[in-house]
This record gives sequence, C-alpha cells and structure tokens, in this order.
Amino acid sequence: MVKVLFFGAVADKLGKRSVDAQAGLSLEELIAQLGCADIQPLLVAVNQEQIQDMDYIVQGDDEVAMMPPFSGG
Amino acid sequence: MSDMATPSPQPSPLKGRGGNRDAVRIQEQDFSVEEEVTALRKTSQRMGGIVTFLGCARDFSEGRDVFSIEFEQYAGMAEAAMQSLRDEALKAFDIIDVRIVHRVTTVHAGDQIVLIVVGAEHRKPAFEACEWIIDTLKQHVPIWKKEVTPDGDAWVTQHP
Repeated sequence: MVKVLFFGAVADKLGKRSVDAQAGLSLEELIAQLGCADIQPLLVAVNQEQIQDMDYIVQGDDEVAMMPPFSGG
Repeated sequence: MSDMATPSPQPSPLKGRGGNRDAVRIQEQDFSVEEEVTALRKTSQRMGGIVTFLGCARDFSEGRDVFSIEFEQYAGMAEAAMQSLRDEALKAFDIIDVRIVHRVTTVHAGDQIVLIVVGAEHRKPAFEACEWIIDTLKQHVPIWKKEVTPDGDAWVTQHP
C-alpha cells in the first residue's frame, strides 16, 4: 500500500491526516481520487522529496505527501 | 534542493570546521541565542563577523489580533531541507559556519520561533548568507503555521 500524508490546510480541508492508497496510479490520478484536484497550489512529495512530475506512478512502498505552500520561519 | 536559487559558489578553505550534529535542529523547546552564538564561535577563531536572525511571534497580523501560532512540520523532510540549506549556504557564501534552529510547537506573542546564526571572516557575506537562508527556509522547508485569532484559526499562506 501507498501511504499518503496530508499537511496543514490540506489536512484540514480533507478532515484527515493520512490514508492508504493503491499502488499503480499516477500522482495526477491519486490527487483526483483523494479529492485534492481543486486544491491550488498543491505541493507533492514522494519519499520526502518534492516532485513536479504528476505522471509519476506511485509504487507500493512510497510515502506521498500532499502539502500546501510552506510558511515556516 | 536543486531548485534553490543560490549565488555563485565562493569556495573557502575554512569550510567544514563545524560539523556539529546539532547545528541544525527542529525542536519544541525554546532556545538560547547566547548559547547558539557561543557554540558557533567555538568552531573557529577566524570569525570577524557574526550575524543573527531571530524570528519571533507577533500579537498582530493581517489586521487582527493573534492569540497564538501553532506550527506543524513534515518530520524528517523538514530537518533534511534545513540541513540542505546549511550545506548550500556554506558552499555558496564566503562564510565559516551556520546554525539554524526552528521551533515547532504552539507559541505566543514575543516567543522565539527561529534562529539563524552565521559566522564569517567579514560581515558582508554573513549578512547576505543570513538573509538568503531565512528567505529560502520560508520557501523550501515543509513547516506550516496557523494563527489563532479572535475570528478563528487561519493557516498562513504567504511568506513575505
């Protein structure tokens, strides 16, 4: 299973902080399936590295993060 | 963090003397500016300029009172991103050592949030590196803050 983590305003909007998802979907498909398609801007990380390629196919042991823009400091 | 806009490298033979494992930290507890500056100064006696940036919580933002600020991080990725910031700064600026400490907890007006300490032979690169580090931290480190206000909670989205 793919572990998907949600942070900040994204977690609040979805009402959850993590879900398990099926491997084999592209990030674009995963974002749509999880109800994140209308969240803009949305930052995505795979295994703690930010990724721009939404055609990336998620693998079984991937950790995917859906994040709003950062606001630390 | 290959997408960071870093200035041209200015190699220095003095780099790498620090190597302190605690030079980059994300923590709940408060920190001491004096202790961090002292720790930085212990890494080299070649430092002629030390610049600090201390970010603190305000009681007013976006035209409203702020009761408190709650921080959230992506554990692991946030600390790795801050470590990369330190590494990039040491490569790109003519500086000797850097320390970065960021709190992730609930803070109130006047509380300390983030500290950046940069030591260099001369002040100019220390000022430049310190400004670059805080600007880049706000854009590249997965930490978020939520302001608790009389009108409700609001995630902060901008990074001025």
